[in-house]
Amino acid sequence: MSDSPLNGLKVVARASGVAAAYAARLLGTMGADVSLAEPPQGTPLRREPPFLPDGVSALFAYLAAGARSRVCDLDGEDGRTALGALLSEADIFIDDTPVGRREALGLDEAAIARRHPDLVHVSVLPFGAFGPKADWKAEDINVQHSSGEGNLLPNGLAVEMFPDRAPLKIYGHFGEMQGGIAAALGALSALWVRDEVGGQFVDIASQDAGLAVGAFAIQRLGDGSIEHRVERSFRYGGVIPCADGYLEMLTLEQRQWEGLVKLLGEPEWALDPALEDSLERSRRGPELNRHIREWASTRNVDDIVEAGQKLNVPLARYKTPAEILRDPQERHRGLFQPVEVEGAGMLDMLVSPFHFGGEALALHGGPPALGEHGRAAAEKAEA
Amino acid sequence: MVKPLSGIRIADFTVHNAGPFCTHLLSQLGAEVVKIESAMRPDAFRKPHPVYGRMGPATFDQVASTKLSVRINLKKPEGAELAKQIVGISDIAAESFRPGVMGRLGLGYEALKQVKDNIVMLSVSSSGQSGPDSHFAGYAPLFGAWGGLGELTGYEDGPPVEIRHVMDHTVGMNAASAVMAALHHRRATGQGTHVDVAAREVAASLVGEALLLAAAGGEPKRIGNSHPGMAPHGVYPAKGEDRWISIAVRSDEEWRALAGLIGGETLIADARFSGVASRLANAAELDRIVSEWTATQDANEASERLQQAGVAAHASWTTPEIAADPHLHARKAIVDVAEPDGTIRAAVGVPMRLSKGEEIGIHRGTPKLGEHEDYVYGELLGLTDARRRELEDAEVIY
Repeated sequence: MSDSPLNGLKVVARASGVAAAYAARLLGTMGADVSLAEPPQGTPLRREPPFLPDGVSALFAYLAAGARSRVCDLDGEDGRTALGALLSEADIFIDDTPVGRREALGLDEAAIARRHPDLVHVSVLPFGAFGPKADWKAEDINVQHSSGEGNLLPNGLAVEMFPDRAPLKIYGHFGEMQGGIAAALGALSALWVRDEVGGQFVDIASQDAGLAVGAFAIQRLGDGSIEHRVERSFRYGGVIPCADGYLEMLTLEQRQWEGLVKLLGEPEWALDPALEDSLERSRRGPELNRHIREWASTRNVDDIVEAGQKLNVPLARYKTPAEILRDPQERHRGLFQPVEVEGAGMLDMLVSPFHFGGEALALHGGPPALGEHGRAAAEKAEA
Repeated sequence: MVKPLSGIRIADFTVHNAGPFCTHLLSQLGAEVVKIESAMRPDAFRKPHPVYGRMGPATFDQVASTKLSVRINLKKPEGAELAKQIVGISDIAAESFRPGVMGRLGLGYEALKQVKDNIVMLSVSSSGQSGPDSHFAGYAPLFGAWGGLGELTGYEDGPPVEIRHVMDHTVGMNAASAVMAALHHRRATGQGTHVDVAAREVAASLVGEALLLAAAGGEPKRIGNSHPGMAPHGVYPAKGEDRWISIAVRSDEEWRALAGLIGGETLIADARFSGVASRLANAAELDRIVSEWTATQDANEASERLQQAGVAAHASWTTPEIAADPHLHARKAIVDVAEPDGTIRAAVGVPMRLSKGEEIGIHRGTPKLGEHEDYVYGELLGLTDARRRELEDAEVIY
């Protein structure tokens, strides 16, 4: 594909949190023209850790790469007019202003629909814009714990080692990003029928999105069992400590188990005919893991993975970010692209997990400087 | 008002979780999804799953709901031809086999383009359709391990953590957004395309800021439940067995609200916690103080009080609590569905509300194997009963 799939689409985002910003990032990477409408002091995301060596927010840089920045001070008439002008040109407006503050800023559902009837208006909040908890606030840790997966982690080796500790969140902004992905999907779905029904209001909750990706727990509840982080660990395999790091091992199919026995060098314990039965292997999981861990403890991850993949045993190295950056697979795929991050220089930035027409997507650039593409009522901010 | 994707048809070859979750989302948004299956290799939900305590086929399967089912034995050349006929009347063909399998079946992108020149083909795989690792088989925990999400998740002093089904399903939701982008592109240009989604790259995309930090020479590491810019920030014990509450304090104002609930003026005035830098420096002591208080509190009641005071907090919810929540029901994030015997159970809806698409969501349960062949083979493809019997006898429709 010679052009990006969403070329020509115009998106405006008012994002103070990760979910809304990530929705814009996904659409932007797929070709949409994204403008961040920022307050005079910039979105709070510019001040969010982790920070690059020169104090630049790595989080903001990642989320805003390729976007434009326009300052719109909604406390003033000029700023509102400027935002209105942007929206009148836009196809999609993404906003995470808390519900209670929207009306005063002219950003409520009815006002936007009245002024911009063909706009797809996407609200992205932790608990959505509708329902008894619409006013509740949440950071990523709260999103993960309100949507199920928070209570179900860790599993495997970590919960075996620390059974009494508090449940553990997934690193970074996993829960909020699910809200962003759902928002991108909702925006593109609403846009699909715009010619027939006009613009509409899309109400996204990161909690709903986190719950959707955690649907399996609800599935199991209906099947009659309640998941718990201790019980849902794989009976054997899982996170295996090796001499120089960790690997993941998961043999769900019979032929994969047979490959594993070969990989282990066909030791006597593994040749026990009773272990040919998958249920027996599950029952004796801890015993199997003792043997597997003892075997792995004196070997290096890459040696095991290389030999195992030849035997069709599903194995993966737990890779550090530095290892991923230089991995031949990711290099081949064009997962990273050097972009200019002001204050930090040229850095490899993750582009997108999608290829279209056999080609990687491309970023238009790094994160924008505040107001780089326009200012409305900037005088007030400087006053 | 209609479901937004009404009129879109998907030939669905996907298996396991990631691909089926993608087409499940699109089906809830109105696409007609024809799930192509075979009795020779029944889907996991049609078999017992003793590891998960299910001793028979699932009576309801989340990711198969709202789909139509037809049988095709793709190993037979006539089976591949029949599949192509379905692709010929579809907008999207979705698959999640190992790279190369569709090509060997005669159903690769170029072959599908021959029967439908503007087809959008989606391929979901562990490492993508190209590159030295493209042949790797994988499951959710392996995607997380390859992509860095697993390495970075964990207690500071513990091992990395397996990311489970949420990993598969976020791959599916990502894929759904990419497919929608491809449909928009088709509408604008008349051209179809091949969408290639790599699960390990999705895992990496969810820690993009950590990868950028590493590119600048930093070394992001596991930090448990803590946060580099917030304290207190964590999961604290609540009253009762295995009960927990998550609390995150971003600003001084929020800290004063929390401190007021815990210890009144004395704690508010405590200089050790007077600004974010001091709170981060004294996070261990702060966590001790917060834990001492939360341990006396009911997790849900404390969350309500904290929210009223302006502090981000939520109980660490178990699955039954989620299934019973009025907020999630009001949003149709949780919906009630009926089993074939009439039993009502909770299911997860599509994670959005549309002002002009209130009908979105699950509207049909799990199809029986081949349940919709009269519609698909008879009405849509116009196969005669005699022809269908021939194909059944030849184990093509099988």
